[in-house]
Amino acid sequence: MTQDDEMPALEIQALDGSGGSETRHGRIGRREALTLGLGGLFALSSSGVNAQGQTALTFWSVRLNTPELQLALKGILADFEKAHPTIKVTNEPVAGALVYPKFMAAVRGNAMPDIAEAYSYHPLQFAAADQMEPMDDIIEEWRASGQLANVTNDFAYKKFLWRDKYWGLPYNLDVRAIYYRKDLLEAKGIKPPKNWDEFQAAAIATNDPKAGVFGLAFPAGNFHITQHYYMAFMFQAGGSILDKDGNLIFGTKAKDANVRALTYLTDFVTKHKVTPEGVAAYNTDEPHTLFVQGRAAFCMGTGGLISRLMKEAPNLVDKVGILEVLEGPAGPAGKLTAGFYNPMFVWKHSPGKAAAKTFVRWFIQPGRMEPMYRAAPGQHWPIFKSDFNTARVQENRLLKEMLTNVVPYATDFAYPGLGRPEMGVIDGEKMFAAPVNEVVVGAKKPEQAVADAHNKMAQLFRA
Amino acid sequence: MLSKQRARYAYFLILPALALITLLKLVPTVEAVLVSMQQQSMMRPNPEAFVGFAHYARALFEEEIFWGSLRRSAVWTLGSVAGSYIVGLSLALLLDREIRGRTAFRALLLVPWVIPDVATALLWKWLYGDQVGIINFLLVKFGLVTKPILFLADPALAMASVILVQVWKLYPVMFVVLLAALQNVPRELHEAAEIDGAGAWQRFRFVTFPFIRPTSVIITLLGAIWTFQNFDLVYLLTGGGPADATEVLPTLVFKKGFWALEIGYATAIGMLMLLCLVALSVAYLYAYRVAGQDKEGAAR
Repeated sequence: MTQDDEMPALEIQALDGSGGSETRHGRIGRREALTLGLGGLFALSSSGVNAQGQTALTFWSVRLNTPELQLALKGILADFEKAHPTIKVTNEPVAGALVYPKFMAAVRGNAMPDIAEAYSYHPLQFAAADQMEPMDDIIEEWRASGQLANVTNDFAYKKFLWRDKYWGLPYNLDVRAIYYRKDLLEAKGIKPPKNWDEFQAAAIATNDPKAGVFGLAFPAGNFHITQHYYMAFMFQAGGSILDKDGNLIFGTKAKDANVRALTYLTDFVTKHKVTPEGVAAYNTDEPHTLFVQGRAAFCMGTGGLISRLMKEAPNLVDKVGILEVLEGPAGPAGKLTAGFYNPMFVWKHSPGKAAAKTFVRWFIQPGRMEPMYRAAPGQHWPIFKSDFNTARVQENRLLKEMLTNVVPYATDFAYPGLGRPEMGVIDGEKMFAAPVNEVVVGAKKPEQAVADAHNKMAQLFRA
Repeated sequence: MLSKQRARYAYFLILPALALITLLKLVPTVEAVLVSMQQQSMMRPNPEAFVGFAHYARALFEEEIFWGSLRRSAVWTLGSVAGSYIVGLSLALLLDREIRGRTAFRALLLVPWVIPDVATALLWKWLYGDQVGIINFLLVKFGLVTKPILFLADPALAMASVILVQVWKLYPVMFVVLLAALQNVPRELHEAAEIDGAGAWQRFRFVTFPFIRPTSVIITLLGAIWTFQNFDLVYLLTGGGPADATEVLPTLVFKKGFWALEIGYATAIGMLMLLCLVALSVAYLYAYRVAGQDKEGAAR
């Protein structure tokens, strides 16, 4: 190296152990400067501290990625950073279809986000892979402060309890409901159905092909949404996938009830013929679209259908109602529907773990996510009781009906068992969407479809 | 001596590209072979447990889904390639003639090729819809059918429907390549055949086709390789349903890997799929060599 290659003399201040300083004079070359720079960058990145000295956190979101929700989220994050100037949170949206590839690549590459929000059983699956930070400390804080008692129901947080630790915290609720056309029912002199028999009779009575109106629209395609509605009928028939101890009973103890639910649901297509014939290819959107177009008397839909109705068919809003969760063969005890308490979780190896938990503590507070609920009415619901009866809900009849008729009955796949990582795979592989799809297209009888699905689940549990 | 030096220099020049290819292709392949012999699962914290050929045995001998998916992959590939070849060749023959607006037609026919797969799938899903799809709307409107055809909801029709989409997507490639090949067919041979009294079919069979055969073999093999590993269209159109009627190997690998989280097992299926692709690639290389010899022969 020539003299010309060397950097000009630099004064380097080195800190001594006592916190004082001494001045050392020396010359460093380009190579040393580069090494120091890269080393510094590595130190900054690996310690989770950015150039401004803030703890830098990455937050992956899966369910908050529509433009309106992203806008609301930005505002919430800005509020957080204002309140916590030493923490910088960067939100990275992750497409729903790419959740697993993205997370799995991150696990393999040791590059998980500091914080994430995703689907129901993700924290348990990542906990099984030894990637999750337990959230027991925050649960204890909630317990002490009374916040835990403010959570809608115990299952909302207990579903994340696995091997004596809580691996995630619920932060919002996603519900499934049956929407109906009040005007079409009134025209036939039918009251909103309360139980299976009434619902079946009403769907048959309102089916009017000549007027282009189907009695019922629901998804029966080989997609995840299909199993959500089957699940609701499963509970109402007294069935389930797990028992309260977390054992698989789908095709054993609960077989009769689950077959009964499957028969009841698929009969709308195969026997009563009150649905579009093509439901076997339907995902979430198709039934919603038919309902918004005024072409279905009943529609199984997500909470997001409220937003679509308000945006795309405001004239229809007054004619629409949301059914109270039906009572099936299991009576009042089985009066349940699908609802997903979605989790936030923290990566075990996050260099900014403490800051990540500070963020989660701040984020999951009553009232905090109100801008999101306003941005997309009905799409997400709070987990705190104190957030329910807000003016926003009281002023919107559909939200009010959803709150009264559906939210209190919402529960998850694993019910009455608590969290099991296997439920993520059962959900992910669409193991109980398959029976609906297979029966609707005539490929299997309900008994066979349930038995086959059970065998797949059993194989997973054995593994 | 000089040629040895030149060869060394040539190897030196391709070294960076070779290193890059090794890094990006060979290393992941070796890694995949290793993973396919491990019990890698997101459900366990100890992913590297060695299981030998257990995953391969499971796919080949224990679960019917692999063979079913392989069979459907074969149908999907053959149907798509045959369909797109016939459409591409027909259009190429048509536009090889002097017709008005030939350039505009040639450009328009390439449109499906430039549309991304995701957009293609969403577009066709809408077109195929039983209630809101324009195809069914027109069929019913003009009295061609009395009720909507369940393109994607009927297990008997679903595979044909997704094949049609792939044909639509793939024919422009066939068209462009075959048109280029057709333009190399000497016109005087056609004229001579015509004078000898050969009909249109005979002229195609005995004059045109021998000239485009090498190109046809290569492009159909390439099309088969692309189609065999195509994931997006099938996954977005049907998710592998209804009742597994369109479950092909790529969608099966995705499901096992990213929904069931059985990375080891999914990788083993992926490796078996790779073997099929290697067979196709060997056939491609062989065809390429034969095509080269044919061309040399034709040139002499």
